[in-house]
Amino acid sequence: MNGSLALRTWAILWKDMLVELRTKQSFSAMVFFAALVLFLFGFAIGPDPATLSRLGGGLLWIAIAFTGMLSLGRTFQSEEVAGGLDGLRMYPGEIRAIYLGKLLANFVLLILLEIVLVPVAAVLLQLEPWGRFPLFVGITLLGTFGFSVIGTFYASLTQHLRARELMLPLLLFPALVPVFLGAVNATTLALAGDPLDRIGGWVRLLISFDVIFFVVCVWIYPLVLEE
Amino acid sequence: MTTTELPRFKRGRAPLLGLVTLIILVAGAMAGLLAVPADALQGEVQRLMYVHVPAAWLAMLAFFVVFVMSVLYLIQRDPRWDLIAVSSAEIGIVFTALTLVLGSLWGKPTWGVWWTWDPRLTTTAIMLMIYVGYLVVRSFAEDPEKRARWSAIIGIVGFVDVPIVYLSVLWWRTLHQPPSSPRSMAGEFVYVLLLNVAAFTFLYAYLMVRRYRLAVAERQLEELRLSREDRGGR
Amino acid sequence: MSRIPGGEPAVRLEGIAKRLGWTWALRELDLEIERGSSVVLVGPNGAGKTTLLRLLATLLKPSAGAGEVMGIPLQRGADDIRGRVGLLSARGYLYGDLTAVENLQFAAWMGGTRTDGRSVRSALSRVGLDHVADRRAREFSSGMQKRLAFAALLTRPLELVLLDEPYASLDTDGIRMVDEFVGEWKRDGRTVLLATHRRGQAVSGADRVAVLQSGRLRRFCLPSELEPGDLDPEEPEPGRPESHAEAARG
Repeated sequence: MNGSLALRTWAILWKDMLVELRTKQSFSAMVFFAALVLFLFGFAIGPDPATLSRLGGGLLWIAIAFTGMLSLGRTFQSEEVAGGLDGLRMYPGEIRAIYLGKLLANFVLLILLEIVLVPVAAVLLQLEPWGRFPLFVGITLLGTFGFSVIGTFYASLTQHLRARELMLPLLLFPALVPVFLGAVNATTLALAGDPLDRIGGWVRLLISFDVIFFVVCVWIYPLVLEE
Repeated sequence: MTTTELPRFKRGRAPLLGLVTLIILVAGAMAGLLAVPADALQGEVQRLMYVHVPAAWLAMLAFFVVFVMSVLYLIQRDPRWDLIAVSSAEIGIVFTALTLVLGSLWGKPTWGVWWTWDPRLTTTAIMLMIYVGYLVVRSFAEDPEKRARWSAIIGIVGFVDVPIVYLSVLWWRTLHQPPSSPRSMAGEFVYVLLLNVAAFTFLYAYLMVRRYRLAVAERQLEELRLSREDRGGR
Repeated sequence: MSRIPGGEPAVRLEGIAKRLGWTWALRELDLEIERGSSVVLVGPNGAGKTTLLRLLATLLKPSAGAGEVMGIPLQRGADDIRGRVGLLSARGYLYGDLTAVENLQFAAWMGGTRTDGRSVRSALSRVGLDHVADRRAREFSSGMQKRLAFAALLTRPLELVLLDEPYASLDTDGIRMVDEFVGEWKRDGRTVLLATHRRGQAVSGADRVAVLQSGRLRRFCLPSELEPGDLDPEEPEPGRPESHAEAARG
């Protein structure tokens, strides 16, 4: 049974990635949107390099959160086009495979976005992530995973609501406050240096959030899709 | 045909509960305004504490009830739990907003600003947004069963989130400056505060009874509309 | 109704009701279907045919009543039931950006089969799509998409096959293909429940006919015992694009 859960999770991830690959335009659009957000921040804040790099961690995560929100909404809409989520629900075994597959698909997609976005942000905002790069990568992975855990969950929950484009951010952003604080502060410390060694606390917060909400969301997800 | 067994209310003891609540509220207000002296440092404005803290307590209590009722609903699927949850959520939101306004009024003379990123104040604001989301989702879901199920899920996830939000904001603030910690209070202040907390707890009970009956009536109206639209039914 | 000795019926429903939003799509439905038989489900749009099929596929939870599919209770055994039941929906559930082969590969994996490409290709050739195996489903005509959706069923071992409007948008060859599959499934001892507007051959070839009306089972009988009023007088042409009213129901 567990083998089949893994197989079906993989199948959904494979299918979603393949669709993304076939429709490269939407991924490019995501990247350009994220870069555009960074440009707007630059205009809003001004060209002073010191200010930009001090705020860099926060700006990077706002760009990721906004872009990620748009891509979350699309995850379940692609199923709508294929005829609805029944197309996934009708298969045997645990319904949780749908959540796990979609979660991984969102996670991988955001990581791909970040691989492009981080160098762009480094140039635009004068960031230096290369000094403590493994730490920076670890924080980014943890933050992105937390975002995907809650984001996929609420995207699925709001899928059948009227005004879902409005409801998703309304539910998602308040719930994300701990991830956002953890990711922004840890990233800023990783970029600027961490003389008081406070980064460990934020990383532990991110790990706790990721674990707690992963367990809660996986556990109650079947109730989301019931009909 | 109905899957809903909703209670039918007789003339209840709600007016009596209301009267008791009113008496304790008046007693609490008088105690807070007259019986205790003003704070040595902050002066008269500190008396806001006797409303601010009970309002915050009531909001927390209300959201805890939302959480418990959400869990119960998902286990038993009894629409009554859902109606209690939404009643409690609405009351909680009103008193969360009140807590924020009072905190802001208290903050202006004390800190010199209407808003400060104090961990408790910030968490209260985030909590307000979480539960406003809870209510808005309900207004966008037409099917009563889905509405109840989805909002129950948000009631659970949101409640789990609140303490983590608090910890993260607390941490964030302590990096910049220590949070405003409550000073130890003298005995008489504590008693007056406890009296007001008790008064607000009664107020919660009274409002819950009223709001729950209204929720049941709304639900029965919906059911009635269903059976009229569905005359081909049994 | 006679039962195969020792075998649970494929479907047993008692007092099933389903509420969708503010309407009752099914009311007090009792139904028992023998294993290995084929039953045709007829009734006007909105009678509850799709709802009944979705309920048997455990995509909907009954609001009231109890039921078993393959001897497994609907309320508790949904994950197991889905392993034995396949649904061909009017909506197809195909991904336009994937090729025919990829769509089938996905269906096979989701069904829990670690399949290689060969069985997928053989399913494709059985529905007559091997010549377009590597074309994207988006480019297919609606008849070809229906065939592809059929092939997805063939990648999985099933005991109960639920077909919702299988004839819709198929040409004469396609219709014959559906009838052949139904016959083949029956010979293999599988149970077939088929909802259709098409009266002719499907109804007369079935073991039983179930007539649904306003969410109730109006009649469950041999095809020869049908009364004129049981069938909708208006008979749509085979191959006509089907109305979306049925598909759009919850």
